[in-house]
Amino acid sequence: MAETPRTSDVDVAVIGGGPAGLAAALGAKRAGAGRVLVLERDRTLGGILNQCVHDGFGLFLYKETISGPEYAERLAENALREGVAVETGAMVLDLGPDRLLRVNARGGYSLVRAGAVVLAMGCRERTRDMIGIPGTRPAGIYTAGSAQRLVNLQNLRVGNEAVILGSGDIGLIMARRLTFEGVRVKGVFEIMPWANGLERNIRQCLMDFGIPLELRTTVVEIRGRDRVESVVTAEVDDRLAPVAGTETVVPCDTLLLSVGLVPENELSKRAGVELSPLTGGAVVDETLMTSVPGVFSCGNVLHIHDVADWASFEGFAAGERAARYAAGERPAGRTVRVSAGPEVRYALPQTARAGAAGVEWSFRAVRPLRDVRVEVRGRDSGRIYARRKFGRILPSELQKIRVRAAVDEDLEVGLHD
Amino acid sequence: MTDRPAVDRLTCVLCPVGCELEVARTAAGGVAVAGNRCDKGVSFAEEEVLRPKRNLATSVPAKGTAARMVSVRLSAPVPREMIFPVLAEIGKLRPEAPVRRGQVLIADVLGTGADVLATRTVRGQT
Ligand SMILES: Cc1cc2nc3c(=O)[nH]c(=O)nc-3n(C[C@H](O)[C@H](O)[C@H](O)COP(=O)(O)OP(=O)(O)OC[C@H]3O[C@@H](n4cnc5c(N)ncnc54)[C@H](O)[C@@H]3O)c2cc1C
Repeated sequence: MAETPRTSDVDVAVIGGGPAGLAAALGAKRAGAGRVLVLERDRTLGGILNQCVHDGFGLFLYKETISGPEYAERLAENALREGVAVETGAMVLDLGPDRLLRVNARGGYSLVRAGAVVLAMGCRERTRDMIGIPGTRPAGIYTAGSAQRLVNLQNLRVGNEAVILGSGDIGLIMARRLTFEGVRVKGVFEIMPWANGLERNIRQCLMDFGIPLELRTTVVEIRGRDRVESVVTAEVDDRLAPVAGTETVVPCDTLLLSVGLVPENELSKRAGVELSPLTGGAVVDETLMTSVPGVFSCGNVLHIHDVADWASFEGFAAGERAARYAAGERPAGRTVRVSAGPEVRYALPQTARAGAAGVEWSFRAVRPLRDVRVEVRGRDSGRIYARRKFGRILPSELQKIRVRAAVDEDLEVGLHD
Repeated sequence: MTDRPAVDRLTCVLCPVGCELEVARTAAGGVAVAGNRCDKGVSFAEEEVLRPKRNLATSVPAKGTAARMVSVRLSAPVPREMIFPVLAEIGKLRPEAPVRRGQVLIADVLGTGADVLATRTVRGQT
């Protein structure tokens, strides 16, 4: 006989206890929500920050730079102090109609009925399968983030000689971390003509230790039977295809992949949340509400953030809106659509209520540019709603632009000379 | 630590303009900076090329806990050439739980003026 699962009612349920989720819970509490519950599948709160032991976090939220674990602990302590309820070891399996969550919790299977839900499940790393490197399938291949977890949280040595594919920040940070552990890092290979990580990380994680960074170069083959024995690198042409005759064999026993992050939206998909092919996350309006009423999204599950503070700020905003929704507030009226214009990969939120003022758009450039203006333009009127100059802009840096005026037509966010 | 080339290229990170600086060492032991759009670029380049400082972070296993690793960083950056000597000192640590976030594990490590701090709270075994 099936037992009736334990059921609880909350005003706002937050799925995921990383910085975005913790901030969302705080935002909801501060906006007056009564019962706010964070559901986190891991044993500890803080999400990916727990493994990011290096410093450089918190400049905007805490006005000082601290490490990932400190950032996570501080945010979690604030949440608990302000009355947020937390359940760790609680994996949300399913988000059903009417915001009913099915949870695999420590005490067994349970149900949570929520007035509003905030999605804050973070992201996953792209793997070898997703980028399709041919060759054998030996041991010694890790995503940069999983290597980070093994080294920083489990004290495991990943290998002796490593090659890193991709110049994203996690790969750069790991190049330094492995060097500290006595691993020889033989090079970072990046297929694009520019590095994906922050300038500061290239300097402090590679140049400080004489680790070469090869641009327009990729790994075309992995060799080795049981363990990686070498990788074959090759230069690529303008269409990113390997150039025959440029192959080099690099002996190594470890390959780290730092080739991008993807929002973790399995749960959202099953709940019928509309996703954007450009961000991999939900399509949201200016309140960060998804296409499913009462379901909000923030942090890396919405779009990839390079700086944890932005994920937190987005969390505060989503939590506040979720609290207002749970209290009965319903946004009404016509919506306008916002699209990505020249040299812009995406702009978020993708929709906004006509008449909304003070909306801030996040966007990313397609490629590095110098001396450009970002403009938010009316698609019909050509009116410029906001404009901001950039001395330089990089695809790896998420940027923001705020429109003070009320918007009442479809908009385009683009970069212009 | 490797020797830097005679002319060093670096992007100034003091403001969003991000000037690309070319920094050459002068015979007098100073630097000559080109590419900067304001004066701040010069002091930035001097500091980074002549006296670079770095913070560093790692983690060390704790005695007697389930969560085995205690993450650490320095309270302030140290001269870059001190990175490996400081890491060697940190490598000798086996902090006994409980450990408090912010707890000083080594004060004034190797006379650098920087303390080694725990960056995570690790409770004792209960
Ligand atoms: C490997 C890595 C390294 C990074 N390094 C830096 C850095 O050096 N500096 C910096 O500023 N930013 C860094 N970032 C980015 C920054 O950490 C992120 O922007 C930020 O952590 C995103 O926060 P989040 O809350 O959206 O996601 P996360 O921190 O990933 O948190 C998501 C949480 O949701 C939980 N979860 C997922 N699904 C479920 C479910 N179904 N049920 C219950 N819980 C669930 C997860 O367990 C996790 O705890 C890094 C990101 C990654 C992936």
